[in-house]
Amino acid sequence: MERVMIMRKQEAELFQDKKVGFFIYLGVEAVMFAVLFATYMIFTPAGSGPYPSDVFQAEMVLLSSLFLLSSSVTLYVAEKGIQARKGKKTLLSLGLTLGLAIVFLGLESYEFYTFVQEGYGLSTSVFLSSFYVLVGLHAAHVTFGIGWMIVLFIHYVRPNVSYSLYKEKQTIFSYYWHFVDCIWVFIILIVYLPYLV
Amino acid sequence: MKKVFLLSLVLLLTGCNITVLDPKSETASEQAFLITFSFWIMMIVVVTVFILFARFVWKYRYTNSRKHILPKDVKGNIKLEITWIIIPVLLLIILAVPTLAITYDQSPEWTKESEDAGIEIDVTGKQFNWLFRHRNGKEEMDKLVIPEGESIILNLRSEDVIHSFWVPELGGKVDVMPGKELTYEIKHPQRGTYQGKCAEYCGLGHTDMTFQVEVVSTQAYAQYLHQ
Amino acid sequence: MKLSVFGYELVIPTDIIAAWVSVILIGIVAGYIIIKKRKLGVVWDYMKTTNHRKIGILYLLFGIIYFFRAGVDALLIRTQLAVPNNDFWVFQGEKYNELFTTHGTLMIFFVAMPLLLGLMNIAVPLQIGAKDLAFPFLNSLGFWLFFAGSLFFNIAFFLNLTPEVGWTGYAPLSRAEFTPGAGTEFYVFGLQISGLGTIFTALNLIVTIIRHRAPGMSYTRMPLFAWASLITSFLILIAFTVLAIALYLLMFDRLFGTGFFSGDEGDPVFWQHLFWIFGHPEVYILALPAFGIFSDIISTFSKKRIFGYGTMVASIVLIGFLGFMVWVHHMFTVGLGPVVNTFFAITTMAIAIPTGIKVFNWLFTMRGGVIHFTTPMLFALGFIPSFVIGGVTGVMLSLSAADFQFHDTHFVVAHFHYVIIASTILGVFAGLYYWYPKITGYMLDEKLGKWHFWTFLIGYHITFFPMHITGLEGMPRRVYTYSEADGIFILNAISTVGAFLMGISMLFVIWNVYKTHKKKKKVSGDPWDGRTLEWTVSSPAPEHTFEPMPVIHSMDAYWYAKVKNKPLPATTNVRVKPLERDSIQPFCIAMSLFIVSTGLTFRWYWLAILGGVMLFALLILRSITDEREDFYGKSDDHA
Ligand code: HEM
Ligand SMILES: [Cu+2]
Ligand SMILES: [Cu+2]
Repeated sequence: MERVMIMRKQEAELFQDKKVGFFIYLGVEAVMFAVLFATYMIFTPAGSGPYPSDVFQAEMVLLSSLFLLSSSVTLYVAEKGIQARKGKKTLLSLGLTLGLAIVFLGLESYEFYTFVQEGYGLSTSVFLSSFYVLVGLHAAHVTFGIGWMIVLFIHYVRPNVSYSLYKEKQTIFSYYWHFVDCIWVFIILIVYLPYLV
Repeated sequence: MKKVFLLSLVLLLTGCNITVLDPKSETASEQAFLITFSFWIMMIVVVTVFILFARFVWKYRYTNSRKHILPKDVKGNIKLEITWIIIPVLLLIILAVPTLAITYDQSPEWTKESEDAGIEIDVTGKQFNWLFRHRNGKEEMDKLVIPEGESIILNLRSEDVIHSFWVPELGGKVDVMPGKELTYEIKHPQRGTYQGKCAEYCGLGHTDMTFQVEVVSTQAYAQYLHQ
Repeated sequence: MKLSVFGYELVIPTDIIAAWVSVILIGIVAGYIIIKKRKLGVVWDYMKTTNHRKIGILYLLFGIIYFFRAGVDALLIRTQLAVPNNDFWVFQGEKYNELFTTHGTLMIFFVAMPLLLGLMNIAVPLQIGAKDLAFPFLNSLGFWLFFAGSLFFNIAFFLNLTPEVGWTGYAPLSRAEFTPGAGTEFYVFGLQISGLGTIFTALNLIVTIIRHRAPGMSYTRMPLFAWASLITSFLILIAFTVLAIALYLLMFDRLFGTGFFSGDEGDPVFWQHLFWIFGHPEVYILALPAFGIFSDIISTFSKKRIFGYGTMVASIVLIGFLGFMVWVHHMFTVGLGPVVNTFFAITTMAIAIPTGIKVFNWLFTMRGGVIHFTTPMLFALGFIPSFVIGGVTGVMLSLSAADFQFHDTHFVVAHFHYVIIASTILGVFAGLYYWYPKITGYMLDEKLGKWHFWTFLIGYHITFFPMHITGLEGMPRRVYTYSEADGIFILNAISTVGAFLMGISMLFVIWNVYKTHKKKKKVSGDPWDGRTLEWTVSSPAPEHTFEPMPVIHSMDAYWYAKVKNKPLPATTNVRVKPLERDSIQPFCIAMSLFIVSTGLTFRWYWLAILGGVMLFALLILRSITDEREDFYGKSDDHA
């Protein structure tokens, strides 16, 4: 029993290290996005080329936001599941999160695709360039997150991973995912909204 | 090391033959004043530190007689520490006043509608030449002719990368930017021939991107315009 | 040199040939020694290591190697500038531009940074009673990313593709229209990869310092080097991230046709803002750790605790904070207008105040002490007056209207070499002599060390002092020659002599290291009669330190224990140490990024994709070989 207590304490300490480290990392990411938001605000609207309102489509933004933001909710359910040691609940809601993320990514790719079709490419104007490097980097984060979730599933079934370790892994992932979602909110507020209302 | 320093101190004292400290316009004079002024203020700091340094290092050095001393711990001294906060602050304030005044007057600006009347000249930098265009349309490459005693207002612009316009005797630098026009004023240049150069690294021919400046009498300038 | 290969005329400049020949020769000799002495195992061991001391050694090793390369570049620069209208070898025009770009970039990113990170890696855990950095794997990854980035940057020269945009990479010159070809890409990706490594290491140091201090080692008892490392790491996190984004945007400009920094649609000044929001804090990133080293050394060799510990810490924090508010002083001439210029002139002056506090506190630490002139202490003593000279020219530069004259001249070159060499380079030398026993178990020869110190210090002043005057005489920086009429021949010649004296001084270092390792005389754990925890462990620091863990009751606890002639109290009830397991994965991950960069640089997109696939495969591999799996065991199974 005492061994278990010691083990618990040690795990908690290691996990706290991880958590602090990961939050600092998210701080770095926040700085990164902040600079890109600043870039976007400086260059938009651009002196020449299309005006943002002519490019953006409100329905598209609304739809993709719906999927991404609800994925934060399903992930929250997964966190609750893992805490309550409810395997099914966890897996199901994590799977749902994955699905929502994939749909979001599909919608966003489609959005980019239509833009390019209409002649609004990466190098069309500085406004579009700063749009793509910002929103594109966010999309890259979503893609990375999708890969991460798949790896989480693998860990779930791997016999080498104890429950407490899996729990930590999923918790760290959820910080990441909520952060990515939070960036999306800023994208809506800063990138789209001023030119859609 | 200290000898080198003292030697150059003497050099600076007699510094009237150093280009920047031997200005040939009002603009450059103000800058030279600021440089010399700040130099002397800073010498106060340097001398203080050097004296304390030499004294402490010498006095408290390890010697056979001090071998077994266990130095007393001093955690700090609030009064002393406040002293070396307050005094530098005062020195900096003394420095800041003329700096603000001169900077306010001299800073180059984007497309400033200049209030002061003066001789306006368009300067275009491009890899690796200078083109000077006078009001009546006269252009010359790599040679700038201006009248003495007037206010010269330069409108600078680049056709490619960033360059920087610099005539050490007449004033500091102004960057020459693509896509933006900058205005810089040289006040009351004195007659003479000076060398101007590009001070912002701009590629292969940067070193050779020099030009000649001739400050001539007002009549000679008028003549030059109509040549 | 012209070669004829399969009918193609191939022109290879002789400097490139010389470089290839010398590198191949050095490679053969090094390879021979390694194989002959059966040291391949050691190399392999170091490639896999996650131990903080060994990683520190790697950082130091490569920092010094690049120091020699960048130093040779400096000597070439000075040789070309020795006399007016000089035509030395190939170093005019383009080659000269490549020379100062390489020199500057290497010195800042691949010399100063790794040397400091190396010392932090070695000394910080030992000073605070941590058994390793918090994340050993990440630490190794940080190093190998630095290594991959530096390798990438250095290779450019051997392909005759050296970047020539200056270490500041100003746009639009750095855009593809003006510097076509792959050269600038080596700058972009080299800095990008190594910068990522630096960010990881900074993060690691922060978590270590926050969470792995010995019991009782409160923030008010922490050695100043550890404090400086902590603040520096925060600066790194912000500054290097901004740089990463600047490079990211420049990459898009160069490779994918965007126009962020172009003169027409974008804004070249935006690059300057981003670069200097990174660049100015960077100089404090270089200076603060050195301040920390000097604080510890001055206190140790004056046999006295640091004067005004509280204000010392406060001024580090203040310098770090103000460091982000002054960047425009590099841009006084770009036309941001009088209001902006005066604002930044004032913030810049303000930084002089906390810096001044530090100088006076160092002086008063010595006052009343017993000053031992050991080699580390000599470097610390050399630092104070030299740095003050650099500091006061800094204040002079901050006067914006005066800066219109100083800007981009050799006055500036003099100023920043005064500051950087006095703080970072002297600091690193001081730290190396000081901690050498902790790193290797041997003590460097004091006599040769003193020769090194005096030749270096004198050479340094002879080199850079005259540049103040050449600058005021109107010599811009980044020009490869000047004319006789400029009247700056003698001053430049003096500079060159000084540079070679510095070059010679480095020979003493080589000789010293050789001699020390030949003699193999082991030293005790505490050869300097030190004050802080690193001197409680044996020399060299073993892989498993602090067993049992000392308990700290005051600042400089070890010193006071020695004074009272009592051992430090210790405990075995300590937190779990960081998990570590040797792994070659960090090396492979870094190399996959090297491959991605190569692919992007030469537009071989298939290679970039291949590298990317490799990267993600390695990340997954890493995830399923997590060392925590064994530690956590399988005991409490899935529910
Ligand atoms: C060891 C002796 C050194 C010598 C003789 C030396 C010499 C020089 C010279 C003459 C220049 C000006 C080149 C020009 O503008 O034409 C220069 C530039 C520079 N040096 Fe050094 N240097 C030395 C060490 C260092 C160190 C230790 C650092 C930094 C850690 C450093 C960083 C730089 C930087 C950043 C530049 C600017 C490069 C550029 O303009 O892009 N140097 N050096
Ligand atoms: Cu130029
Ligand atoms: Cu700065």
